[in-house]
Amino acid sequence: MSATISSTSTAEKREPAPPEGPPVTGPSPGRALIGVMEPVHGRLLTSIAVAATAAVLGVAGFALVALALRELLEPVPDPATVFRLLGGALAGLLARFGLRALSFHLSHLASFELEVELRTRLAEHLARIPLGEAQRLGSGAVKKVVQDDVRALHIAVADSVPLAGFTLAQPVAALVALGLLDWRLLLAVLALGPIVMIGMRLATRDYADTRRAYDEANEAINAAVVEFVQGMPVVRTFDDGTSSFRRFATRVHAFTRATAAWQESSRSSMIFSRAMMAPLPALVIILAAGVWLTASGSMSPATLVVALVIGTLPIESIMPLMWLAHHINESKAGAARISALLAIPPLPEPERPEQPADGSIRFRDVRFSYGPDGAGRPALDGVDLDIPSGTVCALVGPSGSGKSTVARLIPRFWDVTGGEILVGGVDVRRIPAEVLLRHVSMVFQDPFLLEDTIAANIRLARPEASDAEVEAAARAAQAHDFIVSELPHGYQTRVGERGARLSGGQRQRITIARAMLAEAPIVILDEATAFADPENEAAIQDAIAELTRGRTVVVIAHRLSTVADADQIVVLDSGRVAERGTHRQLLDAGGRYARLWAHHQRARTWALGSAARAEDPAVTR
Amino acid sequence: MRRILRLMMLAAGSYRREYVRCLQSSLAASVVQAAAYATLIPLLYELTRPQVDEAAAWGWFGAFAACYVAETVLRLYELRFQYSKWADVLAEARLRLGEKLRTMPQPELERRAAGDLSTVVGGNVANATTGVSTLGLLFTQLVTVPAVLGVIIAVVDWRLGLVLAVSVPFAVFFVRRIQRLSGSGFRGIDAADARAADRIVEYVQGLPLLKATGQVGRQSRRLADALHAQGEAMTSMQKRVTWPGLLASSVVQLCLVAMVAVGAALVLGLDLSPALLLAVAAGAVRFAEPLATASAMSQVFELTDAALERVGDVLACRPLPVGAPEARIGRFDLAFEEVSFSYDETPVLRGVSFTAPERSLTALVGPSGSGKTTITRLLTRYADPASGTVRIGGLDLRDLDPAEIYRHVSVVFQDVYLFDDTIRANIAMARPDATDEEVEAAARAANVHEFVSRLPDGYDTRVGEIGGALSGGERQRISIARAILKDAPIVLLDEPTAALDTESEVAVQNAIDALVADKTVLVIAHRLTTVAGADQILVLEDGRITERGTHAELIAAGGRYATMWAAQTRARHWRVPSTAT
Ligand SMILES: Nc1ncnc2c1ncn2[C@@H]1O[C@H](COP(=O)(O)OP(=O)(O)OP(=O)(O)O)[C@@H](O)[C@H]1O
Ligand SMILES: Nc1ncnc2c1ncn2[C@@H]1O[C@H](COP(=O)(O)OP(=O)(O)OP(=O)(O)O)[C@@H](O)[C@H]1O
Ligand SMILES: [Mg+2]
Ligand SMILES: [Mg+2]
Repeated sequence: MSATISSTSTAEKREPAPPEGPPVTGPSPGRALIGVMEPVHGRLLTSIAVAATAAVLGVAGFALVALALRELLEPVPDPATVFRLLGGALAGLLARFGLRALSFHLSHLASFELEVELRTRLAEHLARIPLGEAQRLGSGAVKKVVQDDVRALHIAVADSVPLAGFTLAQPVAALVALGLLDWRLLLAVLALGPIVMIGMRLATRDYADTRRAYDEANEAINAAVVEFVQGMPVVRTFDDGTSSFRRFATRVHAFTRATAAWQESSRSSMIFSRAMMAPLPALVIILAAGVWLTASGSMSPATLVVALVIGTLPIESIMPLMWLAHHINESKAGAARISALLAIPPLPEPERPEQPADGSIRFRDVRFSYGPDGAGRPALDGVDLDIPSGTVCALVGPSGSGKSTVARLIPRFWDVTGGEILVGGVDVRRIPAEVLLRHVSMVFQDPFLLEDTIAANIRLARPEASDAEVEAAARAAQAHDFIVSELPHGYQTRVGERGARLSGGQRQRITIARAMLAEAPIVILDEATAFADPENEAAIQDAIAELTRGRTVVVIAHRLSTVADADQIVVLDSGRVAERGTHRQLLDAGGRYARLWAHHQRARTWALGSAARAEDPAVTR
Repeated sequence: MRRILRLMMLAAGSYRREYVRCLQSSLAASVVQAAAYATLIPLLYELTRPQVDEAAAWGWFGAFAACYVAETVLRLYELRFQYSKWADVLAEARLRLGEKLRTMPQPELERRAAGDLSTVVGGNVANATTGVSTLGLLFTQLVTVPAVLGVIIAVVDWRLGLVLAVSVPFAVFFVRRIQRLSGSGFRGIDAADARAADRIVEYVQGLPLLKATGQVGRQSRRLADALHAQGEAMTSMQKRVTWPGLLASSVVQLCLVAMVAVGAALVLGLDLSPALLLAVAAGAVRFAEPLATASAMSQVFELTDAALERVGDVLACRPLPVGAPEARIGRFDLAFEEVSFSYDETPVLRGVSFTAPERSLTALVGPSGSGKTTITRLLTRYADPASGTVRIGGLDLRDLDPAEIYRHVSVVFQDVYLFDDTIRANIAMARPDATDEEVEAAARAANVHEFVSRLPDGYDTRVGEIGGALSGGERQRISIARAILKDAPIVLLDEPTAALDTESEVAVQNAIDALVADKTVLVIAHRLTTVAGADQILVLEDGRITERGTHAELIAAGGRYATMWAAQTRARHWRVPSTAT
């Protein structure tokens, strides 16, 4: 085999890879497989045709060798004929290998291109579907689809396609050649037909349930490893070697069981195909017929040699496909999962896109639930907000009351279940995603950094920003000093996975710098300074104040004192607006906010430790 | 060959005995297979004779059929290993890797990305064990059958044998070449795969951010680059091995034609009986087939090899050494003695010394990036200090079994990490044997119970990846409940209430307060008010402790702490800009 991974697959032929089952949704696995190959259909057809030609030439080459031998058995062999035949054989075999290599080459290149194309499509699609859907899948499972399932297609695309050309053409050519030599041998070989059929059926049989279990077990391992590695500090300190490591171990064992189950269900077919689908049994039949015919003098022994050479070709050409059957099943299952992911409906894009007029934000009776299709407990339950362009709105309220949810709905990470959200006077569903995302810049509650340099992370917001602008943003976020003085390579320091090589407060300041650089008319700050030390916090807030002048700011904060001067304060409680107004108005109203404020004041004077231990037993509600 | 065998034994782990037995039966099967092909020679010779001896012909046929049966039985025996042991071998290897990840020094772990490691544990190790279960057998067959058959042919007619033998060095040459090329190719592909895997994990986890910055799909340079590099790696490898692969597989078959040609010349020169040539040709066809496959297989060895290498790389990583694994912690006071530490070149801690008596509350305050979190990390032996000593109960951490340390320390991390499981499971992981009542009690103390009881599935609600299906404050409280449930004598709290609203904060502070009564607590907080009552406050700046004392002492001293206290009071009156200002 000329191809890189084609040989891999052949070598893995006996790996107990599981057969496959239907996907959760989407088209049938077989159809899905053909569907995902669509971008390279043309080249695959060429590859098949080339492979088929190679097969026919190969059979011709072998037949010519045999004919040369037959000539030699003549009482007076003609040397010229013998060497002409052998010359023809040589040419045929050379062409066979060349074309065969060419067909694998074509299919492999097509397959590599297909991989890149599909992965890119998947990534694009992931960004178009509601964020919640993507997060429900989880990074482990997505990695499996984008990486492993796409790779699994390789067997079907790169290896099976040319092999299919072979498998179709070679037996036919071999049988024709055999028939031309001696029809009785043809009959003997055809007797193998049923065996071949049974073998094929068994090999391609679909053990849907066991395979699905195997797949899920495999996926679970993937997720477990990501978790195991990323959460390692937690694993180590909260695990005595039995619990969280057990999460991993359990999945490894589940995989073993799933594999065993699959093997159990396919054992008989495995034994059958191992015993029958090989050259030896075919040779036994041909030899039996051949010895009988030759011994009785009705056939030349040279014809028997020919039969021995090409009689096994029908079976030999099916063997690779049988070896690959499991992999092809895996490819199909992978294709089904890829199609299922691509079939998740994206957030619909507007038919007649409109542009937001300004930085105002309006919520009209917004209802929202994180559950699938808006089912489940509502996170927002009839929220009305009116934030005029250029004003500051603070969202406060207990943890879990829906503040971050409000923030996430503005850039349309999810669609509302009821009501509508207007940005710049236009329903967000009528604003093209790109425009909307450029219009809003956001600092998330959990700072997320890419495994890249500090500069690249800040510049994410505006890739064309100059170094000076990046630095200015970093200064505003009080990040410049630590970047140049504490990090080994300044702005070129890599931050590690998820920013793990920075301290919590440093991470947060980088994300603030990023938002400052974006220059979007709307800025959303979700607990942006929770990890900042007091001195930095004051400086950051001054800088934010400076930089966001004239922009619309939505700020979420637990420390009420930090937002007391906002144009309006909205108090959320269990997904509803409990109160709204300015700090003064709300204090005077003596409602929910006034109570929170009192709490806040008390917490500020409250202190952890022995001195304060006796204080304020009343706060526990 | 030696090396491959050694690597395979490594991957076979504790199943090597079974594996060796399986290799032996594979060897036997291959010899029998070659013998079967060899019987074709006398059989055809018999048939080509002018006077066919039918009994002799059927006798050879019987021998052939008998070989077939024997071969099948031996092969089935050989398959047993793959069939019943492959999964076990894989599981064992994965668990070995898992255990390795757990004991690997944390900085070492951080150097490798999660996606990369999941490629090793999920994919590479499977490739490696598959190689073990398949390749050894295949290779035995591919080498043995032609070797035995070649010897037999050479015995029948040395000249024909010689022509065939000529193909072997050619095949070996091309095989070597492919091995070299594909070896580096697979390493390249593996590295590209690992990187792509990382980027995909990052892409999904960072999707909110990437969406908000418009860096998605084709616009996401990082992902697009990684994907293209992956395609490139595969394509370039394909291009490089095409020619040698083609030559390797055709050279053997062409030698077959050459052998017939030489044979024909001999027959024409009356130097060889045509019958013998015919007979040898029938056997020689079977000589060529496996060799051609072998040349293609060589890449697979490299694939396995590359996979084994990556797996071996992780397995070879040494855990932090333990001086006295039997030592047990008896007291629970903490001590840093002149501790210095740096992650890279830049020093982060410089000569930090302090002691925290048993059952005391020590607060660490100081600017962001001053090294507070690093101190808690050293207490859980994240890594060893560059100089100085960290002690728990008077024992150097380097002398303690890490498990012994973890048993006695409970941590609330600054970065909350929850596992994609139920709320109950996330809390209970601190003490798997805890009853539901105990879990609930811890949850109440951390102010978790109230919001959990409003969830439709209560404690059985799944929290999503990294706790993504919960609000920030909810996540933090669950991690506090986890720490409370563990009930360890030493508690490290890193910004435990940063994401909490005031009400939850007060409740959680009360819970922590209760905890302090009989535990040694180290707490990090930016809101100085929350630590003002600590037994001692350590002010950390630039990796040094610059001040220490109680709140009153430090305020009176009028130093750094006093400045911070004043700054905080200022920050209280900070205002978001409003149109009015
Ligand atoms: N991705 C999600 N999937 C399902 N439920 C979610 C998700 N994110 C949040 N929730 C739930 O929605 C509710 C509101 O969450 P949200 O994050 O908006 O709270 P919050 O007000 O920002 O709280 P906090 O101050 O703790 O950050 C919570 O009960 C939370 O459990
Ligand atoms: N894993 C790491 N690899 C390399 N450098 C690191 C790593 N973790 C932290 N640092 C660096 O070490 C210094 C101290 O970090 P540390 O996390 O201890 O700070 P901190 O005092 O906890 O700050 P914060 O209040 O912001 O959490 C910082 O400059 C940080 O960039
Ligand atoms: Mg929130
Ligand atoms: Mg920290």
